[in-house]
Amino acid sequence: MHKKMAFSFPDEVLEHVFSFIQSDKDRNAVSMVCKSWYEIERWCRRKVFVGNCYAVSPRMVIRRFPEFRSIELKGKPHFADFNLVPDGWGGYVFPWIAEMAGAYPWLEEIRLKRMVVTDESLELIAKSFKNFKVLVLSSCEGFSTDGLAAIAASCKNLKELDLRDCEVDDLSAHWLSHFPETYTSLVSLNISCLGSDEASFSALERLVHRCTNLKTLRLNRAVPLDKIANILRHAPQLVEFGTGTYTADVRPDVYSDLAGVLSSCKELKSLSGFWDVIPDYLPAIYPVCSKLTSLNLSYATIQSPDLIKLVSHCPNLQRLLVLDYIEDSGLEVLASSCKDLQELRVFPSDPFGAEPNVSLTEQGLVAVSLGCPKLQSVLYFCRRMSNEALVTIARSRPNFTRFRLCIIEPKTADYLTLEPLDVGFGAIVQYCKDLRRLSLSGLLTDRVFEYIGTYAKKLEMLSVAFAGDSDLGLHHVLSGCESLRKLEIRDCPFGDKALLANAAKLETMRSLWMSSCAVSFAACKLLGQKMPRLNVEVIDERGPPDSRPENCPVDKLYIYRSIAGPRFDMPPFVWTMDEDSGLRLS
Amino acid sequence: MELQLGLALPPPPLIPIETFDLNSYGNYETREALGTNALSWPLLKLGPADNDINNIHHHNSSSSSSSSGGGAGCKKRSFDEAPFFDEKRNVPKTLHLLLWTNQPNDEDDDPSNVLHENSSSAIFKNDGEGLVGWPPVKTWRKKVHHQIPNGGAENNCLPAVENGIGGRASKSTYVKVKMEGVPIARKIDLSVHHSFEGLTNTLMRMFGISDGNRKSFKLTYQDREGDWLLAEDVPWRTFIRSLKCLKLIRSRG
Repeated sequence: MHKKMAFSFPDEVLEHVFSFIQSDKDRNAVSMVCKSWYEIERWCRRKVFVGNCYAVSPRMVIRRFPEFRSIELKGKPHFADFNLVPDGWGGYVFPWIAEMAGAYPWLEEIRLKRMVVTDESLELIAKSFKNFKVLVLSSCEGFSTDGLAAIAASCKNLKELDLRDCEVDDLSAHWLSHFPETYTSLVSLNISCLGSDEASFSALERLVHRCTNLKTLRLNRAVPLDKIANILRHAPQLVEFGTGTYTADVRPDVYSDLAGVLSSCKELKSLSGFWDVIPDYLPAIYPVCSKLTSLNLSYATIQSPDLIKLVSHCPNLQRLLVLDYIEDSGLEVLASSCKDLQELRVFPSDPFGAEPNVSLTEQGLVAVSLGCPKLQSVLYFCRRMSNEALVTIARSRPNFTRFRLCIIEPKTADYLTLEPLDVGFGAIVQYCKDLRRLSLSGLLTDRVFEYIGTYAKKLEMLSVAFAGDSDLGLHHVLSGCESLRKLEIRDCPFGDKALLANAAKLETMRSLWMSSCAVSFAACKLLGQKMPRLNVEVIDERGPPDSRPENCPVDKLYIYRSIAGPRFDMPPFVWTMDEDSGLRLS
Repeated sequence: MELQLGLALPPPPLIPIETFDLNSYGNYETREALGTNALSWPLLKLGPADNDINNIHHHNSSSSSSSSGGGAGCKKRSFDEAPFFDEKRNVPKTLHLLLWTNQPNDEDDDPSNVLHENSSSAIFKNDGEGLVGWPPVKTWRKKVHHQIPNGGAENNCLPAVENGIGGRASKSTYVKVKMEGVPIARKIDLSVHHSFEGLTNTLMRMFGISDGNRKSFKLTYQDREGDWLLAEDVPWRTFIRSLKCLKLIRSRG
């Protein structure tokens, strides 16, 4: 009997089905089903995500996905945010832009994180992609307002320009005037990172006035309060707004102007900015507070009573970023007023001070964990913690997906019992079964890593500093955490053994960062030689690692899987260990 | 340190039970080798969940002797067919470069000693503020903290922290310039200047200081160590190499 395989739909049908599948993970899974699905999927993938720009080459991506419209690339390791990655390490986007410019001019969206973007790259983007719509640069550097001017002048269909947390050379604010008068398609503009030079207010005002679809506008600090009313008057449809500076010569009429214009913004859901805010001017935003779902007060140096007043006006708040001026008392009010809270970040106002300058302790975090049933993501800086508090937090809030705790002084013990905080963090990983991201701090022994290896089965990213006693700690994590993708470690006594014993695990992860640990140059060479699909980078500003004994620990180590092989754009203080690094057995 | 290359594919030959097969996750033989009973870890007093920990410990100690070598062989994937690393598939469990013998770390290269030695040479202080990158706040966030009203005195350290030592700004030839009494800073490109004369001219122009008023301003700069110095006290080359940011102050008398 002639059996016909019944599952072969025409390609167009499959393509249509696949078009509903957006997530990369799902797309990757689809492509693995069989050869023909692989082929169909690769032709219709429109969004490509590359978590490590050195894991694959631009040419490989273009060859496999010939018709993508949107690309997201990430460059430097996360610890670059804290100055642990020396300048010049890499992460240059230009080679990608150059390859894509040649391959297809219909690229629409570029999203970059922690990459070096030059004016040349921006000019190439402006020149090459006629239908370019979205540019999101997150924590990038290397470009100036000249590059932005090129984008503004050429990208007629630009909808989104977002420069969050970038370091930009502010040569001139006049780049904004390069948006032609006929240009009206802007939907989202985030220039909050731009410097404090004099801004071209009239150009900004005109831009906002003619872009009637503008939904997100995050201004930079240079825009004073008295200008904001004029800008906002033209944009009552705004959903997300970031103020500039709250000072300058503020007069009563300016204040009432602002209050009036804000209350006409009926769609406003998110506020940020608030540099230099003075409490007397806060009430201007009360009219919009009841609709707010997101509030970023992390630049607002106002004290607890004013923060409390503000927060109690926002019952629908889902996301709050704030300085530790809010104190435990403020967090208690937050816990009782904001029952929809999902994400909380509390930043230190005086991170380098030896003594606490505010009354913010573990109690605040406990209060919020107990009071906010939907809380799932926390970043919390404080100066003391106890196992008891952590256990309470874990038991009351098992729905945490991201838990990042930074106790400011390294190796701080439980302040009640003087014991390590192993048990507390153990409770977090045991109760919070969906935990995907965890940052540890405080006094921790190998035990905490045993708990993590045992329980944190969904953990994808782990950050460790000043913790552990021996290689056993690292071994627990590498052998136990099945979902681990990113591991970053600094100042821990982890050496060669755990790393070499779990070499295969490294190919299942995106990357491993270890700095100021005890991994020897010999071990790095061995890994590089035996694991061709890993790039093992030794970063050492003291000079070539082979000028020291082989058993000497390397300063920084960055290991990531790659099918592109070793890179060739490294600065003089980075060495890639590869098959040719001679192996000498002791 | 002994490195044993364990590149054998399954089944790993002749591995005595006492050596530890790292191919099965959650293997607790390591602890037993240390001679400590798995249950000697004090139990977490977590209430109903206590049992979870007990069960895990029991389970692993009983299964230790039955663990066999090696996971399934991993399928070969050619690179142009492989998806971009779908983690759930075919973890090559057999490859380890070191058989975990779990000698306690009391060998000559005691990690803690090594670490200490490493620390003193490799970690450099961040403007006298302690360890590099700790606490983990992003560079641009540090700007906020020095805004704290400090008995009303303007905090002169602000520009230094903004630039950060060893931070991203160091590649740029632009430095921030502030003038006393003016809240908003400017930036100036050092690479186009080759003398104090030229630099001063540009600054005077930038801040709109007339020739007559020039004498009432002095140029100061903050160096990498965080100290504020008079620009005219040092040679141009020293100035250029060590400066982090500039400030024009009114000279007194």
